[in-house]
Amino acid sequence: MLKKPIIFFCLLILFSSNVSAPPVLYGITSGSITFRSDAPLELIKAISTELKGIFNAEKKQFAFTLNVNSFKGFNSPLQQEHFNENYLESNKYPRASFEGKIIEDIELNKNGLYSIRAKGNLTVHGITQERIIKCELSIKNNVVSIKSNFTVLLADHNITIPKVVHEKLASEIKVEVKADMIEK
Amino acid sequence: MTGIYMAIVIFYAAIPCSFAQQPGIKSFKLLDDNEPFKINCLVKTNEGYIYAGTTNGLYSFDGIRFKKNNFLQAGMKDTVTAIFEDNNNLLWTGFKSGRIAKKIKGKLEYIEVEEGDSKVAITSFIQDKQNNIWFATNGEGIYYFSNKHLYLINTENGLSDLHVRTLALTSNGDVLAATDQGINICRLVNGKATVNVIGPKNGLPDYYVTSIAAAGNNTYWIGMQEKGFCLYDHSSGKITIPAAAQSWSYGQVNELLVSQKNLWIATEENGLLKQSGMNSPAEFYNSSTGIQNKINNLLQDNEGNIWMSTATALIAITGNKLKLLPVYSPEVFETIHATLCDYQNNIWVGTDAAIIKYSFVNGSYTEKKYGFSSLNSKTDITSLYQDINHTIWIGTMGKGIILFNPETGQSRSLSENPLLQNASILAITGSSNTVCAGGLEGVAMIFNITGKNKIITEKYSFTNYNDIENVGNNYIYSIYKDSHGRIWFGTDGKGITVLDNGKLTTYNKTNGLKDDHIYSFTEDKNGNIWFNTEGAGIYSFDGKTFKNYTGTDGISDLKITALKTGPLGNIILVNKNGLDILNPERGSFSYINNKHGIGDINTGMGSVTQDTAGNIVLSTLQGIVMYTPVINAADHPKTIIESVQLFLTDVDKNVKGNFKYDQNNFQFNFTGLYYTSPDEVRYQYKLDGLDTGWVLTRDRNVTFPKLQPGTYKFHIRSSLNENFTNADEATYEFVIERPVWKRPWFIILSIIILLALAYWYIKRREKQLKKVQQLQQEKIQFEFEVLRNQVNPHFLFNSFNTLISYIEEDPAMAVDYVEKLSAFFRNIVNYRDQDVITLDEEMDVLKTYFYLQQKRHGKNLVLNISVSEEEKKLIFIPPLTLQLLIENAIKHNAVSKETPLEITIDLENKNRLVIKNNINPKISREPGTGTGLQNIIKRYSLLSKESVIVKNDGIHFNVILPILQKLY
Repeated sequence: MLKKPIIFFCLLILFSSNVSAPPVLYGITSGSITFRSDAPLELIKAISTELKGIFNAEKKQFAFTLNVNSFKGFNSPLQQEHFNENYLESNKYPRASFEGKIIEDIELNKNGLYSIRAKGNLTVHGITQERIIKCELSIKNNVVSIKSNFTVLLADHNITIPKVVHEKLASEIKVEVKADMIEK
Repeated sequence: MTGIYMAIVIFYAAIPCSFAQQPGIKSFKLLDDNEPFKINCLVKTNEGYIYAGTTNGLYSFDGIRFKKNNFLQAGMKDTVTAIFEDNNNLLWTGFKSGRIAKKIKGKLEYIEVEEGDSKVAITSFIQDKQNNIWFATNGEGIYYFSNKHLYLINTENGLSDLHVRTLALTSNGDVLAATDQGINICRLVNGKATVNVIGPKNGLPDYYVTSIAAAGNNTYWIGMQEKGFCLYDHSSGKITIPAAAQSWSYGQVNELLVSQKNLWIATEENGLLKQSGMNSPAEFYNSSTGIQNKINNLLQDNEGNIWMSTATALIAITGNKLKLLPVYSPEVFETIHATLCDYQNNIWVGTDAAIIKYSFVNGSYTEKKYGFSSLNSKTDITSLYQDINHTIWIGTMGKGIILFNPETGQSRSLSENPLLQNASILAITGSSNTVCAGGLEGVAMIFNITGKNKIITEKYSFTNYNDIENVGNNYIYSIYKDSHGRIWFGTDGKGITVLDNGKLTTYNKTNGLKDDHIYSFTEDKNGNIWFNTEGAGIYSFDGKTFKNYTGTDGISDLKITALKTGPLGNIILVNKNGLDILNPERGSFSYINNKHGIGDINTGMGSVTQDTAGNIVLSTLQGIVMYTPVINAADHPKTIIESVQLFLTDVDKNVKGNFKYDQNNFQFNFTGLYYTSPDEVRYQYKLDGLDTGWVLTRDRNVTFPKLQPGTYKFHIRSSLNENFTNADEATYEFVIERPVWKRPWFIILSIIILLALAYWYIKRREKQLKKVQQLQQEKIQFEFEVLRNQVNPHFLFNSFNTLISYIEEDPAMAVDYVEKLSAFFRNIVNYRDQDVITLDEEMDVLKTYFYLQQKRHGKNLVLNISVSEEEKKLIFIPPLTLQLLIENAIKHNAVSKETPLEITIDLENKNRLVIKNNINPKISREPGTGTGLQNIIKRYSLLSKESVIVKNDGIHFNVILPILQKLY
């Protein structure tokens, strides 16, 4: 019977230690991901505004995720179908994500523009790749805005494209991410 | 038994000498505007070039000066912290800023990566077995490029610390990283980085690892911050701490370098240390030798020299090549005529009446002196030799040979032959169980050594060759037994005699030798015999022919003291000032001389010896010098074309050049890279295509102004002497195109065009002439037509009928009519031979003609002309055209009250004259040739580009004439 209070006490200490240095969590209020495939025969561009994410400023950790089938703006409904069913298999792998840690030290309480790099795991099509992603981060009145451009190689994520559409689909997909985050 | 033969006073002295000093230290300062700056890193390229990364940017160093490598963008500045050359000879530079640049066409260019740049200094690069480039940073961990992306290995992958000092690639493809928290072994498995840490738990003496150097067999020397160095075996994971590092007191290790089984250690506070083997103590190069105590970087050049950087300078030492043992004073040197390195590598010297032994014990040399009562200052010791029983043979002037047992100190005079009693010995040589002694007074003896002779009092069996005919029996400089058992005798003035299977052969001037005074012999690895002469250089003999090497082949001094075969097969010639080292394969010489800090070499024939490894041991004024050839070291300059400039602007030297005829001013900058003695390098260049032949120069550039068009190949080769046989050569090919107007195709094309033009001109002229001719013909025809028309009976009958009716009714009118008729005919005659007349003139004719016709037809014939008077004067027309057309209209149409004929002449759009009449075809047609209209069309086609248009819509008949603006 004596053990219970001890456990309770331990838990209290554990929590109180958390309370004494509360994590500064930021969440995405609006975010978008645009991808662009610039193939010789066709330019495909699609956008999803359903980017969700969270950022722990103290630990410099973050996690972003998105529903793959939320991409819109394809050249044709058939293309969207192919994208979802054949290439990204969004039924099987519904989510794409990037989670990791920022390499540099940043001060979030100061307004300004920072160029930072994030190291993390990029999961697309069920394949996780460790990546470094460069990012423009601006802080204005507690709103953290991020903007980033990076490239995803289809081969890196086991996305195979039939020979017929080689000229229509680039092997390197350019991705642009924009998000505004505020303290949660 | 002891002491009976001992001649024997033994001095004993043990004098500890200081550590070996290093001859030939060279120091180079890096200055810009007299402002020194710091070297952060050193690297040697695949070509052998030394690069230094400094606080003022990247520099290349050719042995004489530093040359700055600029950024592509002018004015860019960055502190270089790491340099690396990859397998494709691409130079990578890492900066303090965290950025990375590649050197492209002689200029540095920052590379842009999508992932962004590191924010902290780059410390090291490597290229792994998959050719990925890795780089380490001071604070962010390790990055690597793989398949277009940049990846980071940091604490999340298990890296123990983000401050990585250096990287090394293991033989199994792992990457070793030296960090502040141990060694990290990084490995890529299926694109994922895994890290294993070797720290104190695994036996590493120190957390803080500063440097890694491959030691062979997948083992690595590890340098540390506090605990010196240790050996890490990557195969077993075992760490061994050598005795020398057990109680390390020399502070932080900055860099390690493995060279010739030695480990060179650069320290933060105690200079450079040389470690040989696991246990032997270190040798020092520090402030006591004039070098700063803080050594940052180490590098070995292709010639075996070791380079180090201190805070203010780049310093070269001869590395393992030369070692100076300052074991005796200059006074002792004066008395030395012979040296010996015994089977334990103790060094012995022969002085006036004693021999001295120098042995290396506990980090310093001690000396022991053995004196012989029978000897004095006049009985020089000329030669020392140790046989297989370790007995030392001492050759003297006037006292024969003394045998000495270094273990017991026993000695005796060799008195087996009375000839030896007071003989003067010049040389003692030998091999296995043979000892050969040559000298004055006919000494030419070969002793057979047996196990019994271990006791020196035992008698030796011997043969004396002094009585053999043809052997120069008075003066034998040297006797040499080669590996085939042949015995060679070198004589003073009688050439060489060789005893082969009991058969004697003599070679002298009659066999082509230039000098019959033969001093000493040696045998190379291929069994060729080499010997040196008094004044004609050296010879090699392959059993059939003699090959001579003299000054022109590169021998620096023909007064050769000794000839030896070095441990790597080189033939080494010793002279007063240094060593000439012959590479027998290439036939080229390299030199060890005052540039290396040696000189004043003992000229005694017996004063050059070899240690058990074959290294050359010399006696010099400064002390004993040991020369160890460096394995795989370059012994000749490496020829490099540094840049090719066209009108002083760099062009790509790696690809064949193609230039225009006016791009004809070339400068070639080249270097013969030879860090050992860069100022000894000389060059020969040749430009194929400009018949110069080889031109000798000391300059490092050559300019060819105003080269004519042609195909060229520039050759440059470098050598340490004027012998360029087998010299390293570099070339650059280029073509200067002929100017366009001198190329065959252009000339041919021009001729074709000229011919075509001429043809066209002739054709055109011909056509023109034809046209004129045709016009003439048409005109004549027209005139004829008009005349014929006007004199045709109908016209005249009609006119006369009209006239008759007027004569009766109105004579005045008749007169007028005749006047008009007359005027009409006069006009026809007047205008007939003109090509064109003004419309005004034509109208006059027309009006007259119309008057005549109207008198006949009355109001049934109407002519409307709507052309202004001004226009009439500007427009030209072939004469009688309108008259003919109207005549045609009247001729072909019925003119009556019911069917009046209305003709209009109109100027349409100011560029076309339209003659229009309504159609009422006559039932019976007046006879006519019908050629009138055709004639007009033809005439117009010759006079105008536009043609006459004839339109018949069934109601109106239109003839549209183009306007002629100018006189034809």
